[in-house]
Amino acid sequence: MNINRSNKRMLTGNKAAAWGARLAGVEYVPAFPITPQTEIVETLSQWFAGGTLKGKFTNMDSEHSMFMAAGSAAATGVRVFTASSSQGILYGMESLYTVTGWRVPFVMVNVSRGLATPITLEADHNDVMSTRDCGLIQLHAETCQEILDFVLMGYKIAEHPLVSVPVLVNMDGFVLSFSREPVVIPDEKSARDFLPAFQPAQPVFQASLPMARASAVFGGGTYTYFRIQQDLAVRQAETVFNETAVEFADRFGRHYEPLERFHLDDAEVVFVMSNSFATKGKSAVLRLRKQGVKAGLLKIRMFRPFPDEAVANALKGRAKVAVIDQNLAPGMGGITYPEIVAAMYGRDDCPQKILSVIGGLGGKDIKENDFLSIVEKLNDPESKGPVFLYDEGDWKQFQQMQKIAQL
Amino acid sequence: MLRVRFHGRGGQGIKTASQVLGTAAFLSGFQAQDFPLYGAERRGAPIVAFTRIDKEPILERGPVAFPDLILVGDETLLEDSQAAPACGADALTTLLVNSTKAPNSLKDKLNLLTMPVTCGLTKLCLKHLNAGMILSTALAAAAARLTGLIPLNHLLEAVEIELAEFSPEQLQKNLDLVREVFELLNPVVFQEREEAGLFPSKLMALEQQEVRDAAPLITATGNMNLRKTGNWRIHRPEIDYEECNHCMICYARCPEGVIKEDAEGKPEIDYDHCKGCMICAQECPKHAIKTLWEMDYEHQSQ
Repeated sequence: MNINRSNKRMLTGNKAAAWGARLAGVEYVPAFPITPQTEIVETLSQWFAGGTLKGKFTNMDSEHSMFMAAGSAAATGVRVFTASSSQGILYGMESLYTVTGWRVPFVMVNVSRGLATPITLEADHNDVMSTRDCGLIQLHAETCQEILDFVLMGYKIAEHPLVSVPVLVNMDGFVLSFSREPVVIPDEKSARDFLPAFQPAQPVFQASLPMARASAVFGGGTYTYFRIQQDLAVRQAETVFNETAVEFADRFGRHYEPLERFHLDDAEVVFVMSNSFATKGKSAVLRLRKQGVKAGLLKIRMFRPFPDEAVANALKGRAKVAVIDQNLAPGMGGITYPEIVAAMYGRDDCPQKILSVIGGLGGKDIKENDFLSIVEKLNDPESKGPVFLYDEGDWKQFQQMQKIAQL
Repeated sequence: MLRVRFHGRGGQGIKTASQVLGTAAFLSGFQAQDFPLYGAERRGAPIVAFTRIDKEPILERGPVAFPDLILVGDETLLEDSQAAPACGADALTTLLVNSTKAPNSLKDKLNLLTMPVTCGLTKLCLKHLNAGMILSTALAAAAARLTGLIPLNHLLEAVEIELAEFSPEQLQKNLDLVREVFELLNPVVFQEREEAGLFPSKLMALEQQEVRDAAPLITATGNMNLRKTGNWRIHRPEIDYEECNHCMICYARCPEGVIKEDAEGKPEIDYDHCKGCMICAQECPKHAIKTLWEMDYEHQSQ
């Protein structure tokens, strides 16, 4: 394929993910299609069939076997890519826990989509948050460029000898997976220089070297040892991410930190967001500033390991913080809210108010007006979270639907 | 609190014994807790179960490390280092063994601090139940009697509750067995254990290890050999070499791969690992593999 002179081309989030895998020179892709992820595996299958990618593309019978195949192939020392979404992630959940415990590196993309019931196809983050405690490293992308870059960086991080854990790159379904925007596609040589062939840091399956993985251990002590090692390895990924980001910036000119600070330095009101709607948050920050509200935004790129020190440093001394979760743990509220509050715990420069806000469920838009409502809630000493971004217009619309649905 | 530990083999009713005792204690007005410990084992494998009895609410969970009363249903387990039925026994512990041996011979052999109680429960089970390996009610009755806390009527009621799915005839046989065991034994005086003061554990912060040591990875081969499964046997296959024609069908059929060919081309059973499934005896075309009771074999060999 020809790359145009500026090395930029219009790519959907899904195509950007596929390009990331292509530039990483993946050798094995176990795949199972699911809306809104299908375009990723469709693109890769064409590249394998046409000979652009050398290796094996396999259509699996489910996400459960797909993740197992991904882990098993990685255990043989090949570079593996896979992708899923929503119900597929849930169906493969057992395998995700299993293969992260094997401590084998690969990269997977999750294209976020809300979970049933009710059934939806559109984005929210309950699917990716369900994998929060699997032992995966999680990088969340706001733009199509971040997707491509995080897949490339993801291999470098996953394959680092002190990490050796799968990396999940997350993007929002539809609004990012199907949105095209200009993306810089690194040339293959630079990509190869940045990411040489996979050199496993551990013995790999070979006919001449029998081994057992996923051993059963009883009594709890041995189990605890391996779980602590898993925790140490995932924590180590923050340092490795930062080192990798410096190398990536040297080579490609784009520098990433676990957090992105947008107009944060003098901000009195901070929105904490992630993924594609952070773009809307940034726009709202600029508009609020025109209206005299000193707003800022903290975007979280890395959810696992959770960069708690960096979060605490970014939020210290801010008067008011709203954590906008595009997910819901019924009976509790936003899933990331307690993690951010815990990061601030015990600090004397803790914000006066940290409010939990829930919006963008099942693809519901977060409007710029909503951000002003959040500011009002932050200024109201009586307000308590979680605050749902659900307004009178939404209620009227629901009543119309209910007329059709109910006798 | 009185802490009771039962040892036996999968299929002998060890779990049920702990539950009959638990229910009997509960019916007698005590706080009670019973708990079996098993997972991937199968019939014949060593099993433990526990019953705790107290006047006060029981704030313990899990296995009993320092039992006041140990009941060993299967004496072939006594010298088994993995089952280790005497583990945690001290000067306050009473140990009952289902055996017809003299107590002092067992005391010396097992290095016990107290004189064990022996009782030939297998014979009584054979007499009442026509089955020598089902020890649930007999062991529960022995335990209940030794505690001195449980009257016979509550014990019998507990048996009725726990064996509610049995036929009336089978239940009656068990009740008769329980009565006989209960009357055969005398209560033991148990001393309350003094509570030691707490001292902090030496917690440590693990350092990250290289991934080959940080993942549950086994690269050493042949270490299954270290797991001796020979103690799972209830039945023991024995090859009659007078009859054996070295056809090696037993070798081919053994699901555990524990029959090998010796220097003379004869099949040889590895008793450290044979689980006693007896498939070899079934498959032998010359019926040259005998089925022995492991317990009888132990007696003979001594």
